[in-house]
Amino acid sequence: MPGDFLDRYSRGGTICHRMSPRLKIILTVAVIVTCAFLPLSNWPLYGCLASLVFVALSLAEIPIAYLTRRLLLFLPLVLMTAIAVPLSRGFAGGWQTAGTVVIRAVVAFLAALWLVSTTPFDRLLAGLCRLGLPRLFAALLAFVYRYIHVLFDELARMRTAQRARTFKRPPGWRDWKGAVQLVGTLMIRALVRAERIHGAMCSRGWTGKMHSLD
Amino acid sequence: MHIADGFLSTQVCLGAGALSAGAIGLSLRKLNETVSTRTVPLTGMMAALIFAAQMVNFPLLLAPASGHLLGGVLAAVVVGPWAGCVAIALVLFLQMTLFADGGWLAYGANVLNMGVVGSLGGYAIYAGIRRRMPGPRGIVVGAVIASWVSVVAASALFCVEFSLSHYDEGFNLPGLFAVMTSFHSLIGVGEALITGGVVSYLLAVRPDLIAEPGSPAGAVAGLGRVVWSGAVAALAVAAFAAPFASEADDGLEAASKEVKIEGLVQEPRALLLADYKIPLPRFVSSAGSSDEAASGQSNGFWQKLSVSLAGVLGTAAILGITFALGGFSKSRIAPEATHAG
Repeated sequence: MPGDFLDRYSRGGTICHRMSPRLKIILTVAVIVTCAFLPLSNWPLYGCLASLVFVALSLAEIPIAYLTRRLLLFLPLVLMTAIAVPLSRGFAGGWQTAGTVVIRAVVAFLAALWLVSTTPFDRLLAGLCRLGLPRLFAALLAFVYRYIHVLFDELARMRTAQRARTFKRPPGWRDWKGAVQLVGTLMIRALVRAERIHGAMCSRGWTGKMHSLD
Repeated sequence: MHIADGFLSTQVCLGAGALSAGAIGLSLRKLNETVSTRTVPLTGMMAALIFAAQMVNFPLLLAPASGHLLGGVLAAVVVGPWAGCVAIALVLFLQMTLFADGGWLAYGANVLNMGVVGSLGGYAIYAGIRRRMPGPRGIVVGAVIASWVSVVAASALFCVEFSLSHYDEGFNLPGLFAVMTSFHSLIGVGEALITGGVVSYLLAVRPDLIAEPGSPAGAVAGLGRVVWSGAVAALAVAAFAAPFASEADDGLEAASKEVKIEGLVQEPRALLLADYKIPLPRFVSSAGSSDEAASGQSNGFWQKLSVSLAGVLGTAAILGITFALGGFSKSRIAPEATHAG
């Protein structure tokens, strides 16, 4: 399940993990912005930024196999969008724009991956709140983070049940129908669950206003 | 569909971010106006649901690949446009932080393309079709058309953002527009099929869960629908008029020059080609020497294609918007709607 993917290495004890989340957010955004502003004529600076990010990643002791896997999943998406630029000119140019975009995207992706892999989600939210993220939005994010795990489990159970009642994947149209029913049922269950949670929250004094201890 | 960092310039990202921040703030205010205790559990659960539903793979009927739901219109149909827009913004934030899918700087642009245009704009089209076609059939037809238009509109908006970011690089907007919209009109068919399927399943099993435009969740739309259908109309005009405008070499150019901050002017690109060699020298030399000529001749085909595609897509979008605006004249907010139209 994708649960494996969710901030997998974020709870470590390295120097990167112990840094203040706020500082890490600012550093990451700084790297991404620098990357976006850098013209390609200064290409050695891209190398410097990339090595900086790589040093940070190795200080955080994130396995290189994991990084490679993430990059392999990420690259096709970027390349597909980037190829649209030369394609739009009948492959007679635009390669430079495409190349720049891909380099920038990879550096920014690794920087963001460093931030996410060294900061647990709740600390990240707290850091973002102190940088000005509205309370209500943060409360919503915390709620979603909690319940995606519940819904992933629910989905896995429903898939198991579906497979137990189907000997093999039905062809074409009927497989598609099964997927639609899976999403539809998940939606009904989630909305009914939301009503129950709403009742439970109200009975515990929820008024729609956010309160926080810090 | 998710824009990664590096595609758009920082100025465009900041502009899109400001627009989406405004839209999210407005949506949250509208949500809190009804039953404020429901905002967090209902919207949050919808976001978690869209997130989980994206993990379900749909076999594409004619292709070997499989696709998944994007969910903007589906969320808006079930819980209303404001909650749908916020839910998509939440999903995008979690995908950005947990999967590093979509860039941090490009978050505002992603919310604008998929949340604001996808959910709010899509809902405007859906609501218009529902006025014309009452009953369950209108719900399904509206959801299908709205989700297709929302995907294509998001890709058109991406083209505009991208060309604003790279306008000084001898850029061919009509060509990019043709490529992106033709890709996404296919992706949009998948999205429309999935949305339609799920909505008709819900109608068969739990029809009470779908927000009626007359019920509190739907009435929230009110004035906003006028505003957002206006926004969608403006977007359509911008996107579909762009190929013609850029041929005349004024509208978009002038706009992007205004947007540009003076201190950030980059080096002219011709200089870079001298010291940066891409392992395709033939293409590089032709791109460097005869930029204008290349975009002029070899793209005749793409330009024609883009113009015809723009015609088809434009007609579809205008049809939806006409439905939407036609519907308003019957509603309580009629005077404003006629002004908007």
